[in-house]
Amino acid sequence: MARLRVLFENGDPEQTIECDLAKAPFHHDGEPGSILDILLGHGIVLEHACGGNCACTTCHVIVTEGMQHLSENEEEEDDMLDRAPGLRSTSRLGCQAVMADGDVTILIPRHTINQQV
Amino acid sequence: MENAAMQTAGASSSQAFEATITRIVERAPDTCSFFLHITGSPGSQGSQKFTFKPGQFLSFSLPAGEQTLTRAYTIASLPEDSEHLEICLNRVADGPGSSYLFSRKEADVLRFTGPWGTFVLDQPVKTEYVFIADRVGVIPFRPMIQRVLSSSEKSIARLLYAARQESDLLYRDEWQAWERQDPRFSFWPILEPHNSSRPSGPDGYGIEKLLLPHIEQHYVQNDTRRDRQFYICGIGRPILLLRDLLRGAGYERKAVKYEKW
Repeated sequence: MARLRVLFENGDPEQTIECDLAKAPFHHDGEPGSILDILLGHGIVLEHACGGNCACTTCHVIVTEGMQHLSENEEEEDDMLDRAPGLRSTSRLGCQAVMADGDVTILIPRHTINQQV
Repeated sequence: MENAAMQTAGASSSQAFEATITRIVERAPDTCSFFLHITGSPGSQGSQKFTFKPGQFLSFSLPAGEQTLTRAYTIASLPEDSEHLEICLNRVADGPGSSYLFSRKEADVLRFTGPWGTFVLDQPVKTEYVFIADRVGVIPFRPMIQRVLSSSEKSIARLLYAARQESDLLYRDEWQAWERQDPRFSFWPILEPHNSSRPSGPDGYGIEKLLLPHIEQHYVQNDTRRDRQFYICGIGRPILLLRDLLRGAGYERKAVKYEKW
């Protein structure tokens, strides 16, 4: 069982999702079992302008706990994260970070941007 | 899950727009251009002007059964006329997004947000740009190359474009016309051999089997220059093979830009 705790920088109340990853995908968009897939399939809309194809940074999340329960970054994700606002050392793209069983906590930043400045 | 009950996380600086389909044109088998006229910006106060940079895309929320899915389509037209847009897309077998759009007709209204994307070429510099694409991956390069050729910088642009057959080359007449009109632009179509019998499908074959050996020969093995700018766009992991080939050969990371769908 995977447990995803979701914190919101905009002050919305936190939520926790428990899910059986064997049932992924939960939605159409993002890698099956990714943070984006799990959120969308459980009623939390994380922005993902490119459809979850690693072509934008709108699904940027910050992992605060449980990084070891996520797939490793690939170069493609890192190339894209370079352009994310508010980048931190534990930043991930929700569409690419695939969960394994365990507890993960993420913070969803207040803002996304659509264009490199 | 009802969308109305869903919680939206974060906030976007991008704007929602409404557009009417003014024309639908078949560009190649199962590939159409949709011409859009922006008619408004729901929810905004005053008139919100849509602007974009060459290479950016629009994000559509499309119905798919009880769910809503997000699909991105790159703008094929020029930023100079940002009220009239063109998107070009191919019909994907069992793809709910393209199936929905291909069932639309002229005068239908679409809603989208945008512009999105950082795979852009807005202000060309004096260099040699090499654009590499297969199939619909060529779409962002139409406004990008026009931007390069209209720039006062003495830039050079080459387009290496793989397709199964000549009729699959999108905007072929335009590329050929630009090549005739401007010596700074060259168009290198690379087609599959006539005797190819592989089944069709979105497998990145063009990039991997046709373009990769060509690029390795011209830009890696037989040349020591490493000051070009590469823009690569297409479908699937072959895009990453090409990225790795060029970066591994000594081109700077930021000189090898790519967008993989």
